[in-house]
Amino acid sequence: MYRRTLIKAVFGLALGFAVLPAMARAEPSVDQAGKFVTSLANSAITMVADKSLNENERDERFRKLFVANFDIPAIGKFVLARYWRVATPEQRGEFLKLFEDQQVLTWAHRFKDYSGEQLQVAGGERENAHEWLINSQITRIKGPPIPVQWRLRDEPDGSYRVTDLIVEGVSMAITQRSDYASVLQGMSGHIDQLLSSMRTKIDQMKAAG
Amino acid sequence: MPLTLLGKFALRAGAAAAVAVTLAGCATPPPDDDPDAKAEYAQINDPLEPTNRAVFAFNDRVYRYVFNPIDSGYRAVVPPFGRDRVSDFVDNLKSPLYLGNDLLQGNVKFAGVTLGRFLLNSTFGVLGIMDVATPMGLPGHSSDFGQTLGVWGVGEGPYLVLPLIGPSNPRDATGYAVEWFGDPVDIYLDDHDLQWASWTHTGVNALVTEDDYRDLLDDVRRTSLDYYSAVRSLYRQRRAAEIKNGKNPGAYAPPPKSVANPPHGGQTAQVPAKTVSTEE
Repeated sequence: MYRRTLIKAVFGLALGFAVLPAMARAEPSVDQAGKFVTSLANSAITMVADKSLNENERDERFRKLFVANFDIPAIGKFVLARYWRVATPEQRGEFLKLFEDQQVLTWAHRFKDYSGEQLQVAGGERENAHEWLINSQITRIKGPPIPVQWRLRDEPDGSYRVTDLIVEGVSMAITQRSDYASVLQGMSGHIDQLLSSMRTKIDQMKAAG
Repeated sequence: MPLTLLGKFALRAGAAAAVAVTLAGCATPPPDDDPDAKAEYAQINDPLEPTNRAVFAFNDRVYRYVFNPIDSGYRAVVPPFGRDRVSDFVDNLKSPLYLGNDLLQGNVKFAGVTLGRFLLNSTFGVLGIMDVATPMGLPGHSSDFGQTLGVWGVGEGPYLVLPLIGPSNPRDATGYAVEWFGDPVDIYLDDHDLQWASWTHTGVNALVTEDDYRDLLDDVRRTSLDYYSAVRSLYRQRRAAEIKNGKNPGAYAPPPKSVANPPHGGQTAQVPAKTVSTEE
């Protein structure tokens, strides 16, 4: 009797362990995606407001948060567009590395001007099988709220990654693609030249803080 | 709102100069055997690029060496509270233009908001210096005649950079000219021999616009590889969104298609493997 209960319990526990992660991994939905956006914004705000961190620590945390939650390879590939196809694997790898640096510097700097803005999620829609568009607005102390849309992709493990931010109708990814395409056109499509001008830009951004 | 920086005088001088310079340089379309390049050329919509770049570089110098120092002086002398009062005041004076455009776009609801804001801010807001309507649940919006033309279905035409005024296109430049001649506030001031007030209005408007856009432009200059093409893309997307918003106010305009998400395990496999930390 006792033995049977034990077996049952062990079996149940094992089953429980197997089932738990699956249950925690909620079916992707607008609601879940919206919660992801809210928690991402809150993490960023908490970090920026944390006075106990020095500049280096904050930058390092910012990078981790950014890299974990933004699909940098997908964004980078979109930004390079037709030039991605002709890039060698080494160029692609180097491009993504520099692109990540450039993105982190861009957003870390934007967050330095943070002054009490709050983000409110206001619904969204499913764009296709794995893409979600979440509407939100940033409310400021002064001035009308700024509409920001988040394009997300759900991952097989149930998490989400940001693939684009659309601020007042302006897509960050499209703006960058336009920027990079124009530079590459001026360089007759030489990706190595693009990489070297990205390095220069990153140095400038680092120097300027 | 187009980047309007010097108001009236600029338009007159600018329009003449734009026509003259426009004739000087055109981009060379890519050859027929390069479909990707051709698609890009059409998408960028900037056949006058060499000229536009020259005008853009000129404007950038004027901003840096003339407007930015003036604005820095303004920021140094007038505290943020005072600047907000100036900005609210000139915004309130634009109400007749906003109202006219709201109505021309058929946005009765927005027109009501504009009218309500004007009445509240002009009275309780002490002649418009305090935007009291926003905290009362009537946030502001802007609408202009270039946007109205867009809502009516007029296409943007090729991208143009106008001297001193900045990014534009034939549609928005037309809208700008119409508003310049048709601004009821200026018409009133001119009719009452208050030209000095009309010019002051223009000058203050230019200053407030510069002050509004300065941080954005600084950010774009800092983060882009090619400032010119980043601003071009930004301007064109922004105007397209404003027109969509004019057609369907209040809703989030469906954004343009950007990063295409391949199905799981699909093309992303081509991306060099990257270990991504999931901490934090």
